[in-house]
Amino acid sequence: MIAHLFKLIWNKKKTHSLLIVEIWASFMVLFGLATLIVVNVRNYREPLGFGYENVWAIGLKANQDTVGIADKLQRVQQRLRAYSEVESVSRMGSNVPFSSSQTNNGIEYKKRKILADFYATDENFAKTLDILVPLGHWYRNADSVGKYTPVVINQNAKEELFENENPMGKIIGDRFKVVGVIDNFKAKGEFMSNKPAVFELAKVDATWVDTMLIKVKPGTDAAFEAKVVKDIAAMVTGWSVEVDYLTDMRKNQHNLVLVPIIIALIVCSFLLINVALGLFGVLNLSIAKRRGEIGLRRALGATADGISIQFIGEIWVLATFALLIGLLFAAQFPLLNVFDVNAGTYVTAILIAMLIIYGIVTLCALFPSRQAANIQPATALHEE
Amino acid sequence: MIHLQNIEKVYRTSTIETLALNNINLDIKKGEFVSIMGPSGCGKSTLLNVMGLLDEPSKGTVQLDGQPVMKYTDKELAKLRNQKIGFIFQSFHLINDLTVLDNVEIPLLYRATNGKPRQEYAKEALAKVGLSNRMKHFPKQLSGGQKQRVAIARAIVGNPHIILADEPTGNLDSAMGNEIMTILQELNNEGATIVMVTHDEQMAKRTHRLIRLFDGTQVV
Repeated sequence: MIAHLFKLIWNKKKTHSLLIVEIWASFMVLFGLATLIVVNVRNYREPLGFGYENVWAIGLKANQDTVGIADKLQRVQQRLRAYSEVESVSRMGSNVPFSSSQTNNGIEYKKRKILADFYATDENFAKTLDILVPLGHWYRNADSVGKYTPVVINQNAKEELFENENPMGKIIGDRFKVVGVIDNFKAKGEFMSNKPAVFELAKVDATWVDTMLIKVKPGTDAAFEAKVVKDIAAMVTGWSVEVDYLTDMRKNQHNLVLVPIIIALIVCSFLLINVALGLFGVLNLSIAKRRGEIGLRRALGATADGISIQFIGEIWVLATFALLIGLLFAAQFPLLNVFDVNAGTYVTAILIAMLIIYGIVTLCALFPSRQAANIQPATALHEE
Repeated sequence: MIHLQNIEKVYRTSTIETLALNNINLDIKKGEFVSIMGPSGCGKSTLLNVMGLLDEPSKGTVQLDGQPVMKYTDKELAKLRNQKIGFIFQSFHLINDLTVLDNVEIPLLYRATNGKPRQEYAKEALAKVGLSNRMKHFPKQLSGGQKQRVAIARAIVGNPHIILADEPTGNLDSAMGNEIMTILQELNNEGATIVMVTHDEQMAKRTHRLIRLFDGTQVV
């Protein structure tokens, strides 16, 4: 029967060509959207690698002030440490977690070159963000001896640079010495892929390391925030002081990812509704036109359920033709490694898109096929 | 072979009630070639549909091979139609998007006969009606007589005992009609029981028995 249905649809391919194109286009859109969703879901399921609750980012900008910047930054850090509400303070560059700022660089070990995110931080960074260091230790100021700057790398950077080699004490990129390895570090939030990351110990006199990350005690409120801002403003006159909560910054980062996906979902839903309505109409019309054939098939031995299954089968065959064409296009993405997304993600997206297409065509065919099954063979044959 | 007892068929709409068949009692024996005649609208096709289990009578009983089929399920009726009855229609009812061979194979699809034997049986049936050279043609490429011969091949491909023909020569000229009638007679000679609805007295004379209907009632 399956071969019969394929033959029937194949012989009517010209009549069905627009429908095939419509299903193919829906599949391609669904494939794109499903890829986007699968990539983000996979990223989301990967641990973030650090804690952000009760952590504030205090951005300091010297503006017109050019005198003793490094010294002033150190004094601010000491002042912050002195508050009883503050558990830990760390200094880093502007690329704080969940910010839109990013710094990356190429780094090399034994001719293996990778592109990694770079973070200039201090010895309190791991403590402030609850980062565990399973291998080695988080750098201390005391590690900064000789010509090498101590660095901590994440697991991803370790795998790409060292594969199975022990990275501890190894020199990378000519001037960095690995002192520790952490697991994940997804600075842009849960939806970010876990990219290679390198944390270097920032020099105390580096004026560009001007953001303070402070971890406050649970329950610390906005009154303390106002007090901190006021105190800092008094210490460094003319500077801008801006406080951001990492929890809020995380939400903003999530929105940057989720809003386009939600918009794409809405657009895609409208497209699918249109396709579904089109299919429904075409099937209804087809059944009205084929009443004689339905009567004939009943006379030749088809049951009412058999007729219903035949119509669902036909639309499945039609969808299969469209999906085969779609697969030719979709398969190029994993084969050519487009967008550097792994093949498994594309395969999952293809399966999801196919499942949705088959689901939609089945739903569209259910009602018309039941109608076809209810046609009285004697009446249908007589009408013809 | 076919036994109809006190058959009544009423078509009802919200405003009107039409008595299509009224107290029909009929016995058709194995190997008989019976023709049904009567004016348009007298219930000939309805009677044929009741015999072919395509329509349920409002009253009365239908027996096929001695078995009452009134309480059969849709699946059981479909199986009976597929295995015991072959249908031929005035307007041929061929599927235009399938080749002649594919059209003839249809009844075997509902028996789950495998592809290769299915094709062989269909080819045999087409050879029997003299259309072996038209197997790959589509119905639109055939003449009326050829179409009806394809329909006959389709009716006989499953070796049914009964052939029900609803005005099989109605859309054909006399030469082609005669040709079809000859094929039906040959099939009857080979043992098939045939019931044929016709308007043509000449065709009816070539059958064993004539049943006349008038306003849903059997008059002869």
